[in-house]
Amino acid sequence: MNLCIDSDCCTGCGACVEHCPGHVLSMGSENRPCEKYPDDCWYCGVCAIECPAECITVIFPYLIR
Amino acid sequence: MARSDFIYTDFLIVGGGAAGCMAAVRARELEPEIDVVILEKAEISRSGAAGRGMDALNNVVVPGIATVADYVEAVEIVADGVFEPTISRVIGERSFGILQRLEAWGLHFPRNDRGNYIVNQFHPKGRFLVEMRGELKKILAAQAIGCGARIFNRHPVLELVKQDERIAGAIALNLDCGELKTFVAPAVLLAAGGAARIGLPSTGYLHGTFDCPWCNGEAHKLGYEAGASLTGFEYTASSSMTRDFNGPGLSTFIRHGAWLINGLGERFMERYDAERLERAPSGIRMQAMREEINAGRGPVAFSFSHLPVKTIQLIEDGIFEAERPTMRDYFQRKGIDLKQQPVEVVASEVYLCGGHGLAGLVGDGWGETGVPGLFAAGDCLANPYGFLPGAMAMGEATAERIVDRSPARPAFGDAAPRLARLRASVEGHRRGALGVAVRDFEYKFRRLVNEYVAPPKSARKLQRFLDETEAMTREQDDLPAADAHGLMKVFEAKAGLFCARMAARASLFRTESRFGLYHERVDYPLQDDQNWKTRVLISRGPDGPILTRENP
Ligand SMILES: Cc1cc2nc3c(=O)[nH]c(=O)nc-3n(C[C@H](O)[C@H](O)[C@H](O)COP(=O)(O)OP(=O)(O)OC[C@H]3O[C@@H](n4cnc5c(N)ncnc54)[C@H](O)[C@@H]3O)c2cc1C
Ligand code: SF4
Ligand code: SF4
Repeated sequence: MNLCIDSDCCTGCGACVEHCPGHVLSMGSENRPCEKYPDDCWYCGVCAIECPAECITVIFPYLIR
Repeated sequence: MARSDFIYTDFLIVGGGAAGCMAAVRARELEPEIDVVILEKAEISRSGAAGRGMDALNNVVVPGIATVADYVEAVEIVADGVFEPTISRVIGERSFGILQRLEAWGLHFPRNDRGNYIVNQFHPKGRFLVEMRGELKKILAAQAIGCGARIFNRHPVLELVKQDERIAGAIALNLDCGELKTFVAPAVLLAAGGAARIGLPSTGYLHGTFDCPWCNGEAHKLGYEAGASLTGFEYTASSSMTRDFNGPGLSTFIRHGAWLINGLGERFMERYDAERLERAPSGIRMQAMREEINAGRGPVAFSFSHLPVKTIQLIEDGIFEAERPTMRDYFQRKGIDLKQQPVEVVASEVYLCGGHGLAGLVGDGWGETGVPGLFAAGDCLANPYGFLPGAMAMGEATAERIVDRSPARPAFGDAAPRLARLRASVEGHRRGALGVAVRDFEYKFRRLVNEYVAPPKSARKLQRFLDETEAMTREQDDLPAADAHGLMKVFEAKAGLFCARMAARASLFRTESRFGLYHERVDYPLQDDQNWKTRVLISRGPDGPILTRENP
């Protein structure tokens, strides 16, 4: 996993899913985003910047931490 | 097949990055009647290498600071004499206009105390790098949308269409519904970026690359298969990147005067290029890093402690705010404070790129390839170290050429048989008889790149790579794809393997050493200017690739 998404503050707006340039994210159950293709992430932070509720933090996968 | 199955346009752009957006804007401002379509793999507002942001225009000829001739000379040095000056001249001439255009669109170019642009040196000679702030890609995308171009997001292009010898369009995959869609056009611009996923990165992740991982040489492959030539594939580039993260910073660090030091604290570039030091051509810098590490004097790092606090703040502002905020998170996690600690760097994986390297499609001063109507711009065009200004300048140039010619819309050429072939190929991937995950397939050939294509090179190793991957070129047609996303990944992997094999062929062909580390042949250790100060061209022959010297 590359991201920490605070599902309490998430409004389900889908901006992160739409803007992720690598199609990593998808809307999952209960209208919350999930990392559908985590291997395709570049840790670019676009999702975090586009999130109006500021509930995404890029935490990096284990080998990069 | 009915005509209504196709979408017609005057100007089809493959890739809505820096080059593609600028091409659309320029075409529509010159000719408001022209219909422009952009096919973009992702969502245009954040796609491509510049999606998150950039902190500088790396090569602008700012009046009073440098001339176009200075710029062309600087590129010639970086390219070790192996370049064709026309495109660099065009980029030099247009670069300041690009800056002014971006400024008018709302990009911020900070000024120094005297009210002038902040222009620094990154190239071995001359100052061309202008500090920039703001949301570059969002602004470019807004302009492309605002100019009235029709944008098809989530539409990666898988195939080009021809009518006789001319280009006639492209076929794209709709990622939302999995359908193939055919676009017919008399002029097509390939602007789908470089080839990032060639070598295997030390990050341990296939997409943990320096260059934008979703651009993987598809444009190079599409162009070549349509009949365009390639060049510079023996320039197997890599960069000195922040350990583990592989994040940006290199040009930011160097232009603001950071030193490369070894584990003993020595500024080691003095040993390898006493005059240009860290601003030596990157292949020489990479060779020096490798020598220090091999001699047991590693690890190597960028050091900032000699710089004024104000300069370090400018560096931090550039990479943490403008370019990649996740870099700040990474440094915080590792407890790195630039004012106090050096930043360890390692060699990135091998990548192939026409805009920050030499590997790309061959085009003329308008970006037109040898295939009538087929153009290239940006990182897929051989525009040596053209960076962002090169991408946007050549996007502009292409658009001007196309508007000037206003060619008639073609019939749908060979679209029907190509579409049928592509559908059969897609079906093959849905069946996936190979039963090997595309991830494993990609890992395997990229591991082989590290072992046999990455320098130091030799005929034995390069041939070994070609032999080992020969079977993979057949197996790739049976790679499984469970959904549209998987299909896109299969086509990316195929393009990556194509580019890697071209790199091996070109590296075998150039029987000398050149470009510092990038083409270091242990069996031909000397540089041979008499025979090899020329580009290697690769074109498609009836029995496979034909390699030639541009000026034998
Ligand atoms: C980490 C990093 C930092 C950089 N920093 C700077 C800098 O500070 N200054 C500078 O001048 N240059 C910088 N560069 C270089 C610069 O970003 C590139 O040269 C420039 O973005 C190239 O523009 P482009 O349009 O060719 O490619 P991109 O901007 O990458 O656009 C290519 C587009 O094609 C799309 N695409 C890919 N495949 C397909 C397909 N099959 N079908 C449809 N669409 C497709 C992609 O999604 C993307 O939107 C940097 C590059 C990197 C990687
Ligand atoms: S960090 Fe970038 S690539 Fe990863 S999920 Fe977020 S937007 Fe997508
Ligand atoms: S952008 Fe933020 S609020 Fe919107 S869906 Fe994504 S995480 Fe939730």
